[in-house]
Amino acid sequence: MTRILEVREVKKSYRMGKVIVPALRGVSFDVDEGELLTIFGPSGSGKSTLLHLMGGLDRPDEGEILVDGSNLLKLSDDKLAKIRLVKIGFVFQFFNLLPRLTALRNMELPLAIAGLPEKETLERAKEMLKLVGLEARMNHKPSELSGGEQQRVAIARALINNPRIVLADEPTGNLDTKTGWEIVQLMKKLNEDKGQTFVVVTHDPHIAEAADRIIHIKDGLIAGIKEAPGRSKQ
Amino acid sequence: MKSTKILASAWDSMAQRKLRTSLTTLSVVIGITAIIGLASLGEGFRLEIRDRMQSGFELDNLTVIPGSLFAGLARDRFTDEDIQRISNILGVKLATQVMQVGNVTLYNVNKSANEPVRAFVATAVNFTDFAKVFPDRFVFEDGELPERDRNDTMIIGYRVNHPTENETTTFAFANDTIAVTLELPQSVPPYHRQENYTFTVAGTLQKRGTPGITNFDYWIFIPLQRAREIYYTEESDLIFIKVHNPEESEKIAKQAEELFPPFKVTILVPLTFINQVDRILSIVQIFLMAIASISLLVAGIGIMNIMTVSVMERTREIGILKAIGAKSRTVLAMFLTEAMLIGIVGGLIGVFLGYGLSYGLAYILSGFVQPQHQDTIFQTPETQRMAINPAFSAGWTVIALVFAIIVCIIFALYPARKAAKLNPVEALRYE
Repeated sequence: MTRILEVREVKKSYRMGKVIVPALRGVSFDVDEGELLTIFGPSGSGKSTLLHLMGGLDRPDEGEILVDGSNLLKLSDDKLAKIRLVKIGFVFQFFNLLPRLTALRNMELPLAIAGLPEKETLERAKEMLKLVGLEARMNHKPSELSGGEQQRVAIARALINNPRIVLADEPTGNLDTKTGWEIVQLMKKLNEDKGQTFVVVTHDPHIAEAADRIIHIKDGLIAGIKEAPGRSKQ
Repeated sequence: MKSTKILASAWDSMAQRKLRTSLTTLSVVIGITAIIGLASLGEGFRLEIRDRMQSGFELDNLTVIPGSLFAGLARDRFTDEDIQRISNILGVKLATQVMQVGNVTLYNVNKSANEPVRAFVATAVNFTDFAKVFPDRFVFEDGELPERDRNDTMIIGYRVNHPTENETTTFAFANDTIAVTLELPQSVPPYHRQENYTFTVAGTLQKRGTPGITNFDYWIFIPLQRAREIYYTEESDLIFIKVHNPEESEKIAKQAEELFPPFKVTILVPLTFINQVDRILSIVQIFLMAIASISLLVAGIGIMNIMTVSVMERTREIGILKAIGAKSRTVLAMFLTEAMLIGIVGGLIGVFLGYGLSYGLAYILSGFVQPQHQDTIFQTPETQRMAINPAFSAGWTVIALVFAIIVCIIFALYPARKAAKLNPVEALRYE
């Protein structure tokens, strides 16, 4: 099994005014290809910070993060942007779609940034929208879509560049229970059907239980790693 | 990201904020309109002045006057030898002298109503040479230039021959006999102050007028040889030099000046004068444009202001773009492209409005600068109306456009860099 992501003794603290608040105090784990992993913990435990570091949105104070073998700490800002573009997909709690663009144009964005010709980008975007069941809504702007629909668009956008790993930060945090569960099922389906690797950050134990493996994080440290039962590993 | 996509995205984002975009563009439009308007009007004005001066001054004619403004205008006089030496300078076509006789009174012997007229400038010249130096001015209303210099003929300027306000009366025609009262110095026989001499009118000159130094409308001419007999002198007061090529006039003037002791003569070179005026007008023009440029700088500050607000508003959008893989450079390019588009659109509109403005201003100004009195000495039919035609040069237009774009980009640089440097995590958290 290929190891996609390695986190080694990562530490990160923030300065809040005059006080230095440690968010991560030495965290190590791996993510394997095809895995659906959840990082579970209460708010303020450092799990979102960890996700940002894993996606190269921020840099750790200490430790190493390797994505597909490349050490994020050693990369320039431009190289980091390139990693985010081709290897990582992000899904956020607040969807983070551009309000002025339609669903289709939002999805097309990563491909456009990658510099693909428009004909190709639109085709791919339509394909991906079909996959998440939203082809009928492609010309609607985010404000005309429900929360669940917006998150589907966001997931499709995260997948459009065929990333090695999708990082989701509280993807159900802004949705009702039923819709949230549907989103989890969608990710699970993509994981099972396409073998897409997911790392999902959540504070909801019910959501966390859906994963193959749960990393429990507390006060910036790993409190425990739990293999989910009933999921056979090949 | 492809540049076409960045362009499309910038256009899209501007279209989302129509009022803001159009107001920002308007400030650029005003700046460029002012620059183009004043530049083309100034250029038109300069060309008109140059044109008028060129038609007023004969560029191939130099005037040598005795003395110097630096050392006092001594009444030194020129000899025939001086004229010969000047004629020998390479590039000189002809040099001819003028002997000034002072102001005189004329009586027409052939007229029953014997009203005398006065001529303020009576001169003695070699008619043949003088006509060669001033072919445009020696154009006859009546009569003609004598084939040979005869000793008893004269030529009368237009305003001397038509002395009344409305120029309707005529003093003399060709072949009339004129009695000229000359004032003689005490040293010259017959030793009393006034003496009458008679001349036959060879011709009268057409109205010419001139914005130049001399205006022959007020002159009369008698033969040089006759004047020398009357005044017992071979000396003259002025020398006119005609050169082959006006471009050489400054060089020739310098050589002529070196023929005389320092500060003994002054040579008036029309080309020098015209170039000087031209230079001054160019400076005025640049000054006008510099003032107009201030409005473009104000526009630039407006752009900076708007962009800063825009970056703040779009912080989240920038965070999203960076999270999904946009480089800082791409974000920078997006904002700079918006500024550039404002510069291009505002600049183009400004250029066209500027052309309109210069025509409007030219029309209004033309009404102001017309001569109010019909009897100025500079009056000739072809110079009666001052016509300012705005002159447009492709060069200035391109410079103004490029200037507009550069100003927009420079002022957008700070906010755009601020946007590009945003930390993605913080930008995503921004509410």
